[in-house]
Amino acid sequence: MTTLRPFTCDDLFKFNNMSVVFFDFNLQYGIPFYLQYLAHWPEYFIVAEAPGGELMGYIMGKAEGSVAREEWHGHVTALSVAPEFRRLGLAAKLMEMLEEISERKGGFFVDLFVRVSNQVAVNMYKRLGYSVYRTVIEYYSASNGEPDEDAYDMRKALSRDTEKKSIIPLPHPVRPEDIE
Amino acid sequence: MAARGHVQDPNDRRLRPIYDYLDNGNNKMAIQQADKLLKKHKDLHCAKVLKAIGLQRTGKQDEAFTLAQEVATLEPTDDNSLQALTILYREMHRPELVTKLYEAAVKKVPLSEEYHSHLFMAYARVGEYKKMQQAGMALYKIVPKNPYYFWSVMSLVMQAISAQDEKLAQTMFLPLAERMVEKMVKEEKIEAEAEVQLYYMILERLGKCVEALEVIRGPLGEKLTSELQSRESKCMMLYQRLQRWPECNALAHKLLLKNPDDWQFYPSYFDSLFHLIDQSWSPPEDGEHCSEGSVHHTVAEVVRFVEDRIKGEDGKDSRSLRGPYLARLELMHRLRERGCPEESLLGDPLELMVQFFGKFGDKPCCITDLKIYLHLLPPDQHVQFINRLSEAVPLGEQGDEGFAFPDDTKALQRHLCVCQLSRALGLHHSLDADGKLQLISELKAHYRHGLKFGKTALKTELQFSDMYCLMAAHVYVDLWKETGDENMVWQGLGVLQEGLSHSASNAQFKLLLLLLYCHLGAFEPVVDLYSSLDAKHVQHDTIGFLLTRYAESLGQFAAASQSCNFSLRFFHSNQKDTSEYIIQAYKYGAFEKIPEFIALRNRLNQSLHFAQVRTERMLLDLFLEADIVLSLDESVKAMSLSAEEDDILWDNMRDNRDLTVFTCWDPKDRQLTEEHRRQSLEEETVWLRIRSLTLRLLASLASQGHTTPQQNSQISNENGVGDKTSILGSLLAQLNQTLQTAAESAEKRIQYPFLGPPSTRLASALSSGSCQCQAAAFQLSVHLQELESVGLDESSELQNQICNSFKSLVVQLQEILNKCKGDLLEMKEGKLKTEPSLLENLIFFVETMCIALWMASNCAKILRPLKTSLQKKKKKKKDANTALPVVVCGFQELTGSLQDLLTQSVEFIKEQETSITALKLASLSLEEFPQDEASFMKAAMDKVQSSYLRSLQEVGDLLKKRAETIKSLKI
Repeated sequence: MTTLRPFTCDDLFKFNNMSVVFFDFNLQYGIPFYLQYLAHWPEYFIVAEAPGGELMGYIMGKAEGSVAREEWHGHVTALSVAPEFRRLGLAAKLMEMLEEISERKGGFFVDLFVRVSNQVAVNMYKRLGYSVYRTVIEYYSASNGEPDEDAYDMRKALSRDTEKKSIIPLPHPVRPEDIE
Repeated sequence: MAARGHVQDPNDRRLRPIYDYLDNGNNKMAIQQADKLLKKHKDLHCAKVLKAIGLQRTGKQDEAFTLAQEVATLEPTDDNSLQALTILYREMHRPELVTKLYEAAVKKVPLSEEYHSHLFMAYARVGEYKKMQQAGMALYKIVPKNPYYFWSVMSLVMQAISAQDEKLAQTMFLPLAERMVEKMVKEEKIEAEAEVQLYYMILERLGKCVEALEVIRGPLGEKLTSELQSRESKCMMLYQRLQRWPECNALAHKLLLKNPDDWQFYPSYFDSLFHLIDQSWSPPEDGEHCSEGSVHHTVAEVVRFVEDRIKGEDGKDSRSLRGPYLARLELMHRLRERGCPEESLLGDPLELMVQFFGKFGDKPCCITDLKIYLHLLPPDQHVQFINRLSEAVPLGEQGDEGFAFPDDTKALQRHLCVCQLSRALGLHHSLDADGKLQLISELKAHYRHGLKFGKTALKTELQFSDMYCLMAAHVYVDLWKETGDENMVWQGLGVLQEGLSHSASNAQFKLLLLLLYCHLGAFEPVVDLYSSLDAKHVQHDTIGFLLTRYAESLGQFAAASQSCNFSLRFFHSNQKDTSEYIIQAYKYGAFEKIPEFIALRNRLNQSLHFAQVRTERMLLDLFLEADIVLSLDESVKAMSLSAEEDDILWDNMRDNRDLTVFTCWDPKDRQLTEEHRRQSLEEETVWLRIRSLTLRLLASLASQGHTTPQQNSQISNENGVGDKTSILGSLLAQLNQTLQTAAESAEKRIQYPFLGPPSTRLASALSSGSCQCQAAAFQLSVHLQELESVGLDESSELQNQICNSFKSLVVQLQEILNKCKGDLLEMKEGKLKTEPSLLENLIFFVETMCIALWMASNCAKILRPLKTSLQKKKKKKKDANTALPVVVCGFQELTGSLQDLLTQSVEFIKEQETSITALKLASLSLEEFPQDEASFMKAAMDKVQSSYLRSLQEVGDLLKKRAETIKSLKI
């Protein structure tokens, strides 16, 4: 039982029960980061709310890439579900919505970055039809003395990519500066 | 810095190195390079601006500004200069100058799309909506692109939103905006989704729901594709506003058929049903029920619909969605509210909830889902309900301790949910003390047993059984609050510390620990706990109160400064941040976000917490430094603090605190109510008013110090205001009045739930006598002003009055100090006992002492010249009478007494430090506890002990520094 609706600025004030565990995030985010997404891709920023008004989770994404080079795609920037609302299939539902929006925008695929060590997330994305397209070396910068970490760039082809060309894995890992 | 396109331009080549230096942060070299270039090319304006940027960034604001204005007055039209000036003005926080710049530029180059567009954005940054409207149209006339036209339309909407007069919005701005859009519609020029969205916004604000509905359902509405279900949600909203219940009902059930888990449409579905019943609606004889299709207008139909959705879920191979099951409970709740006998059609609530638990009991959200429907159960069924649920929890064999444990995490989650529901039904609270202790043992056993499921958990993951631990702590708190037995809180702290050691990122453990330490008067451990919560941006506003409420009042001044700074840094960055994104929203056509961003900015600017940290930060700085590092006058000046100015938006205060940040399973009658929230805000506001008036009184005290009476009268002659005496007097009158209101509201003794908002310092400030004493000190300053104008000769009555007030002030201070005396921490019969209120009173003493000393210093400044002139007169007259005026004797007596009080307090603190240090916590009898429990409790006790010592040290240090300042009070 979930209400899915566009994220609004007032939701920022309800963030406290959200675990700050992002499947894909290597940025020090602040208000500007959220506002940037709200200003540019408001439809890609969806929040899930419980019947009692609690914030259950949210997804934040964007559309980017060149259409001519068949790289126009949806990107998952952040996906988070509060611990209390895990195991309800909410993450899958939110991903499905982002994919649907990307379909409507005529994207070729949807992609996301995830820490290679985050096996739970990698497996979840695999279940949702994503596969590893390439490894990005040291994509996540070090913090608290932990070393830099690689990311998987995972992709799922959308219907526009009929031959599923966009998800053919690259043979070699790439460096963060080589990705667009 | 902006990317530079035209490489051909020789000036670009010349400027390049300066840009590079600035980009790399090498401002000095940038300035040198600019100077070099300017020697050769005097008229290269941009070089001047770049130099100004360098100067600005090296702290030479005035020079930078002068240089920039040299270029600006020439009204440059070259791209380089304009962009550089824009950057400079933004860094100077003078966005209004950018508008001037581009106004001049478009005058000179009237056909430039680029400059007009810059001008529009410059207006957007400062919120000049009317000018934006014009700039948008001017742009559209030069280049007829749709976005420009709609920028102009949106600017009209913004004029409507910001209009003080709603009538003006409804009769002028919005209708004009509507006509502008209609014109485009008629000419079939509507292109983008954003334009339809804006049209909808206008119609909605005008209350033209029928028209809006036509747009959304018509061909224009087909453009609304980005946002999922955008058309459907908008239609639903409009049907509701238009009270078109048949459509509302038909659309809701159509959408629910598609997605039976979509909660937002159930309430509309049920509401519409009741409206239809109330209106005795019946379907037309033939044809469609309404434009949205068939309507369910009887309870039976709706019940059947919900039951069918449930059957659908029951029959599914994949995961069942909980929506339909909860919808059934929601429907029952609504039917009961209406007193509808058909409630029985749905079945017995107990059975339904047991069934829900059977299906979803292993989900962590089961408690959140069910707790809103617990009132459907009659109280006499509560125990039966819990027993029924317990039967459905698979547990293993009973162990030695008599507890049976779950074998997997699903069973654990079910068992935990039963515990949570028991608590939510009040079954924990009705237990007696022994029962509660028994319950705690059970919870702790389950907690420790459950750890085995999370042995491989990462550091960032929570343990499956964490909530047992938290609940055990809650029961300890219940016992502590009911019996006053402090051992309970030590054990509660112990169990939470234990929990944290297994689950280092559990925010709830940290929050509750933080709160308990604060209640015990120990702020030192809180600093690390809070910083490990890693609070970000808005959280400084929503939960920052947890820090700022306690830090200063518990004598941890350094930590208090830091806490205020965290919050202030966030609030100050907000203004700049939002305007940037308002501009982006125009660019990308996210029109509906623009009012939202502005509302966000206002919500933060009007935040209660923001006003509090602003005020407390300045007070704290004065308490810590005024007359120690800098004089009070200089401190006040450095803060640009003004007695006359009140910068707090009292009428629009926003309470952004998240008062439900603590997880809580208490029954409804123990939970935070709206009334609590209201009272808490009221209390916070009164306290803030007292603090803000105190601050402004100090500012007026300071400004008095350096104006002699002659200057004073001159000022008041010149501009009719600036009469410092009257400001002091009127602020004091306000303070006294606020104190009176405060005393009345303090009598009500509002008790908030333990996990709700903390009480302010108000009640203890009043009972310590510090508020009254501070007001008395300010009153003395007013009398001293009178004396200053009357002189010493003709004022014996006033002098006597002042001397009496001096004496009474000392008595009052002594009384406050007496309330600090006692043992902050002691051991009694092998048990540790805290008395945090003593510490709180000590801080009130310190604050009041500071104010008394500033008042005294102000007195000294007034008395000194009076005394000197008196002596001169006496010398002339060769008066044999050498007796000092009464007030001077009284003042000397006062300084002596203040000195005594300070010595006394420093002595007392020393004693406390010695006795607390001497406490041998090791000798506490903790042998009744298992060793690891004892060690966690001991760790908590050590933290409290260490925190007290630190507070005492900070307070002692400050008092010693204050004692030093007494020397300067000699007259």
